[in-house]
Amino acid sequence: MSIATGRATAPLAAGTTRKRAGILSRIIAHRTDYLYVLPALIVMLVVIAFPIYYTIELSFFRTPPNLQMRDKIWTGLSNYSTVLNSSVFHEVTIQTIIWTIASTVFAFLLGLGAALALHREFAGRGLLRALLLIPYVISAVAASYVWKWLYHSDFGVIGAISVALGITDEPINFLDNRQTVLASLIVVNIWKEFSFAMVMLMAGLQTVPDQLHRAAQVDGANTWDRFWHVTVPHLKGVSMVTILLLMVANFNSFIIPFVMTGGGPADASHIWITHIYQLAFGRQQWGVASAYAVILFIVMMTFGYFYVKALTRGDETRAGD
Amino acid sequence: MAVISETAIRPVVRKPIDWWRWAGRAFLTFLLLFTVLPMAWMVLTSVKSQFAAMQYPPQWWPAEPTLNNYFKLLDPNSRVGQDFLRYFWNSFYVSLVTTILGVVVAVPAAYAFSRFRFPGRNFMFFAVLVRNMFPAVVFLMPLFLLMRWMGLVNTHGSLILTYLTFGLPLSIWLLKGFYDNIPIQLEQAARIDGATRFQAFLLIVMPLSTPGIIATSIFSFIGAWNEYVYAYTFLSRDSQMTLPVGIQRFFTEFATDWPGLMAATFMMSVPVVVLFLVLQKYFVRALTEGAVKH
Amino acid sequence: MAEVVLKDVVKNYGNVYAVNNVSFTVEHGEFVALVGPSGCGKTTTLNLIAGLIPMSGGDIAIGDRIVNDLDPKDRDIAMVFQNYALYPNKSVFKNLAFPLQMRKLPKEEIARKVNDAAKLLDITHLLDRKPRELSGGQQQRVALGRALVRDPAVFLMDEPLSNLDAKLRVQMRSEIKRFHHNLNATVVYVTHDQLEAVTMADKMAVMNGGLLQQYDSPANVFAHPVNTFVASFVGSPAMSLIPLDVATQGTETSLRSPEEGWELPLSPMNARKANASSNGKVVLGARHSTLKLHRQAVPGAVPGKVYTVEPTGDVTFAQVFISGAVVNISLDPSVVIAPDEKVWVEFDQERMHLFDGQTTMALQAA
Ligand SMILES: Nc1ncnc2c1ncn2[C@@H]1O[C@H](COP(=O)(O)OP(=O)(O)O)[C@@H](O)[C@H]1O
Ligand SMILES: [Mg+2]
Repeated sequence: MSIATGRATAPLAAGTTRKRAGILSRIIAHRTDYLYVLPALIVMLVVIAFPIYYTIELSFFRTPPNLQMRDKIWTGLSNYSTVLNSSVFHEVTIQTIIWTIASTVFAFLLGLGAALALHREFAGRGLLRALLLIPYVISAVAASYVWKWLYHSDFGVIGAISVALGITDEPINFLDNRQTVLASLIVVNIWKEFSFAMVMLMAGLQTVPDQLHRAAQVDGANTWDRFWHVTVPHLKGVSMVTILLLMVANFNSFIIPFVMTGGGPADASHIWITHIYQLAFGRQQWGVASAYAVILFIVMMTFGYFYVKALTRGDETRAGD
Repeated sequence: MAVISETAIRPVVRKPIDWWRWAGRAFLTFLLLFTVLPMAWMVLTSVKSQFAAMQYPPQWWPAEPTLNNYFKLLDPNSRVGQDFLRYFWNSFYVSLVTTILGVVVAVPAAYAFSRFRFPGRNFMFFAVLVRNMFPAVVFLMPLFLLMRWMGLVNTHGSLILTYLTFGLPLSIWLLKGFYDNIPIQLEQAARIDGATRFQAFLLIVMPLSTPGIIATSIFSFIGAWNEYVYAYTFLSRDSQMTLPVGIQRFFTEFATDWPGLMAATFMMSVPVVVLFLVLQKYFVRALTEGAVKH
Repeated sequence: MAEVVLKDVVKNYGNVYAVNNVSFTVEHGEFVALVGPSGCGKTTTLNLIAGLIPMSGGDIAIGDRIVNDLDPKDRDIAMVFQNYALYPNKSVFKNLAFPLQMRKLPKEEIARKVNDAAKLLDITHLLDRKPRELSGGQQQRVALGRALVRDPAVFLMDEPLSNLDAKLRVQMRSEIKRFHHNLNATVVYVTHDQLEAVTMADKMAVMNGGLLQQYDSPANVFAHPVNTFVASFVGSPAMSLIPLDVATQGTETSLRSPEEGWELPLSPMNARKANASSNGKVVLGARHSTLKLHRQAVPGAVPGKVYTVEPTGDVTFAQVFISGAVVNISLDPSVVIAPDEKVWVEFDQERMHLFDGQTTMALQAA
């Protein structure tokens, strides 16, 4: 009888005393794995790492408008103080916050409503979903032109409708008015992206087990109770990711304000991104714009932390070597 | 409140009105109008003459609908048509090359992120994801310098290279999701059946990830087709321009021809909308992949 | 055909030792079952033999070759996976043909071999279907076919029956056994189901926590489990285990219940074993069929209380509380007995097992 004596309870044998492999030997053991990632890595390095480094460098210099790098002058942190002390920066910051939050909140709420309403099976549901998704698919440039035409101060259909319905006496000048311009652009942005939230939340809703709803029904919960106690807890994860993605996208949006108003009138529809663009490519203030970009960068890193955390949730180690 | 089983016989009691259902329908109707009316107005405007479009109050329905605006755009003999068709071709070329290169680069990377646990994997993955976060504008100045240094300004190469990178993180992320769903045992079986690791990947895994590759491709293509900022900055020559930038230059040169612009906008949207409608299943799956764990 | 030798094989993931210093030899033509609870390292061991994952230490030989650094494709093995791992985009024919294509066999020969294997497994009518169009049992046969078609030196199977329903499992069990017999193949078969191991294997390797507990014929493992883990893992219902103290008075040695105080005198042989215990405590093991139930006190029986009674048809199982432990006893179905009834249980001194109270190892007579 061949017996492995005492293995079950005896202290672990040879295996445990083996040294943990060093990092270098692990890298060498996995060397072929890197070949798969290498092309992606190279492209990313050239077009990402290098620009980040360059932006940081530019932010400490004054560079001539023609971007001749050899003529740049070291100015220390003065570009940063120029940005932070400018009153336009403060105004634009507030606009950026309004733009980002308002767009995110409304797009999310519309998307949530649509997802809930579409969750029930009915004829034409697929078609409806497809139609609602079209604004998300088309180019923001196209959306901007269409809405610019809708908002047109003389021949815009929205102004004409509001007059026809007796809401206003004459067409409103939506875009050339400091009071209305930002809100008008936010509407366009919501139009463009609410269906993204809708699709995400629809997918999220599919993960809510039907049994839970039935169990709650048996327990006497009404529609609202079931929404609040069954659906909402299940949607938490997806909602987090959706809101984060919307926030990032809105904070980074450029085309709608840039194409529709160019940030005007009198900077009233600028957000950080369009403002930076104007400082750089409009006024050739490369140093100031770069300092601005670095500040933005730092803000984004904070977003990024939560973003990656939310996205990599569940990416636990799988089998495989 | 008593719970009445659905099989109970209730001949007299009428089903109570489901207010939630009606609220849902009303809300969907509102959303549908909100979504469709602007697009409808675009189409209606595009079949009006310049004169008919510029009226107050507006012609709600075109009195004399005409396809002239479209004929003009598609006429290779007119100047307008020549430019528009060239922009169209440029957009198509840049988007297609970006898509193909993107797949070639993203597939092995996504596979590696899904299957291997190599030192630095988490950091690289983090870097790939973080790229998603940063707006084009942050990279614009240095990239402009880089492109100038590489002599790529005013070439499609500059666009393809940049689109490639801003598409890659998403492509890798999406594809990784698809590879995660392919059981590792299939590759193991192939390797035991006599395949090398690479053959197992090529002969077994690649065909199975076709849906993922399609989804990723749609995303890259639509992203490249719609891109504006880099194209606006890197290209100044008319002959190179892509559609989003091109039509803008085109119609602001003179007093704005709104019906013409609406027709061009419509034409510009057709390819992506068709692509989306045909491959909707993949598109939606790609959009939600990763964010929704089942 | 070939033997498989594992020597001090180790596989660790960081601090987790999935396989810890495992050694055993599968003789040529032998059917060996690798058995143990979920997570004990069975799949990892099999994957190491297959070469699907790199070893952390030790040696593996197949035939007369050390295969440590060989690719799976060069080891002359075939494998059947738990979830079958059929290529979902290939037809059954193509699934069966794939291993032959990889070996660059001529087309006609591939077709011939595939058809032979299909005939053997009675799946000829399925050759044009895709895996998803097959039932679980049919998929199982195709997976088996893909392994057979190549005539490898060693078959590796990872819980091939665990996804089948109970009836089909019994049927496939005998078919696989039959194949082994006909082909005279060397088989390493992983299962978490000890019954499968006992019924199919020439030898079984019982694993727990990455460690090999016992490697022997099913009969020997059943009759002489090396420790309480093996004792309680093999056999159904499991061997009952009662922790007791060793009490010695003069030359007499008995076992005393620490809770109820009764004493069970031991035969001289068992007394010698009990006295070898390292801490004066032992675990008494007994299989259901070796116990006798009495309604009154008899010499050599210990008191207990009936917990549940489970009639199964040809046998009735009673579970009896003895000194705080649950003990299984098989009874004739005609016996009528009720829960909470007070009973006395008599042990068979020849067929009882004594394990060390501390190390849990089977005690040997000193
Ligand atoms: N790739 C891996 N990374 C980390 N731990 C692993 C990996 N594969 C297996 N393990 C661990 O090794 C142990 C044995 O796993 P396995 O061989 O699959 O068990 P079994 O097949 O007996 O159920 C388990 O504890 C498991 O968690
Ligand atoms: Mg297993």
